[in-house]
Amino acid sequence: MTMDVQRVTAEPPPPTVDFPVTVGWTQAAMAVQAVLSLGTPVHLRMDIEGHGPLLIDFRHHAFSWSTPLEDFPVDAVHTGLQTVPTSADAPPYFELPGQDLDGLLWQMGINAFGGGPAFWLSPGERYRLTRWPNLTRHSHDLRHVRMIAVLGNAYASTTELAAFADVEVSEAQRLINALSLMRILSRSAAAPAATMAPQAVEAKRDSLFARLRKRLGR
Amino acid sequence: MSTGLHLKPDVVEAASTLLGEMKAAASSLSYAALLTDDGFDVARYPVKSDGERFAGMASSMQALGDAVAHELSIGDSEYIIIASGKGHVVQLRVPGQELVLSALFDNDATVGHALAVTRSFAQKAADLLA
Amino acid sequence: MAEHVILFTGPMGAGKTTAIQSLSEIDVVRTEANNSERHIVDKATTTVALDYGEILVGSEEKVRLYGIPGQKRFNFMWTILKKRAKGMILLVNADAPDPLAELTFFLDEFRVLYDRGGVVIGVTRADVMAGPTLAEIYEALERTNPGLVIPVFTVDPRERDQMQNLLLTLVVNIEMRAAFGMPSVAGSR
Repeated sequence: MTMDVQRVTAEPPPPTVDFPVTVGWTQAAMAVQAVLSLGTPVHLRMDIEGHGPLLIDFRHHAFSWSTPLEDFPVDAVHTGLQTVPTSADAPPYFELPGQDLDGLLWQMGINAFGGGPAFWLSPGERYRLTRWPNLTRHSHDLRHVRMIAVLGNAYASTTELAAFADVEVSEAQRLINALSLMRILSRSAAAPAATMAPQAVEAKRDSLFARLRKRLGR
Repeated sequence: MSTGLHLKPDVVEAASTLLGEMKAAASSLSYAALLTDDGFDVARYPVKSDGERFAGMASSMQALGDAVAHELSIGDSEYIIIASGKGHVVQLRVPGQELVLSALFDNDATVGHALAVTRSFAQKAADLLA
Repeated sequence: MAEHVILFTGPMGAGKTTAIQSLSEIDVVRTEANNSERHIVDKATTTVALDYGEILVGSEEKVRLYGIPGQKRFNFMWTILKKRAKGMILLVNADAPDPLAELTFFLDEFRVLYDRGGVVIGVTRADVMAGPTLAEIYEALERTNPGLVIPVFTVDPRERDQMQNLLLTLVVNIEMRAAFGMPSVAGSR
């Protein structure tokens, strides 16, 4: 059964909101990426319909939100996005420790851009992992683990990653978007294509990983 | 137990004296050590030898002996003997204590004699610490 | 029978025995003695030889899980146990006096397992004490072992799901290293 979800057009913004946003996580991810790459000393406040304000303190790599990440509202309607200037000696945006920002960036990256490439990525690039995400804290499945293991050991484009890890291109793209937003990918237009050893290609469906996964019912 | 026996000076001194007596009782004894169950050297004969590494090994061996006995459902391991071309190591737990007595005898002693001597001194150690 | 030996390393009190118990399908072989260092690490017993557990993957294939004793005086056991291992799960407790030093010490000591297959790191007791951040851990790794991209997760060794994730991550990482031409051949029959 499908439910008709009526998208409510944003009401006129309250005076504290800089500009209205009705699109969702894509816009939010763009804003976060802009702040992170420019290093602008600002906090971010997002208002999401039915989910209270989401506050991000970049300097402390933390966020505060009443909605638990396990209940991440994929299709939520964003009603506002506001930047709040801060400085190196200013107090934190909210009472620390808050929650680790990586958890939010993971969810945002996976759910933004509708499975297409994040707007800051360029065609023809290959990606490689610079450090692993803390998967215990991120909702994930074993296809993510497999893809991340590829990126930990080889440069791959989105389509190459999908082929190496046996997943849909859109799934590979969502992961790349997330890892990129978390700033744990290096990007290269010059890195050559990696090749998987022929016996590994053959063993893909009958690797120890696959057998153990099946054995453990995962 | 909050503090290991190896950290109690009176225990260390009494144990050292006991190992000296063990040597006097068995001339074929070439090395002996009293150690905690978790591998700390309490005392050794000769005193000047380095006991730390051996204490660790002896405690691992004791625990593996216990694990094997448990696996095979044959109760607790009473003693462990390593017989080799140039001597035998006999090792057993000090009754009622978290301590192991491990002793190396040269081939002048039979395994039976080595075991009897070690068992008797393990009991003496138990009496001393009771 | 094909066998895959995975070693659990790390300091005393990191949760190695518990982790193996969470994963093993057989009663874990334990070699514990009463701990006489409770003034240093407050736990009743400590492993003095090894822990052993296993997962039967098929009728002809086993993953063998060995745990080392964490104290340095048992390093002769480390030498014995590292011989057959293809990979390592390195556990470090966040409330250790110097978790970063412990981590780099054990990574150095068992570096051969990284070269032979792979390593994953589990930070335990992060809920008890914040300890170093993952960023600090990666900085320490980069300083001491530049170029290694080792998975680091916070884990609770009592949680079977989390430990299975750690184990599967290790296995797939070993296989991917082999697949892309790193010096490792683990994982395929």
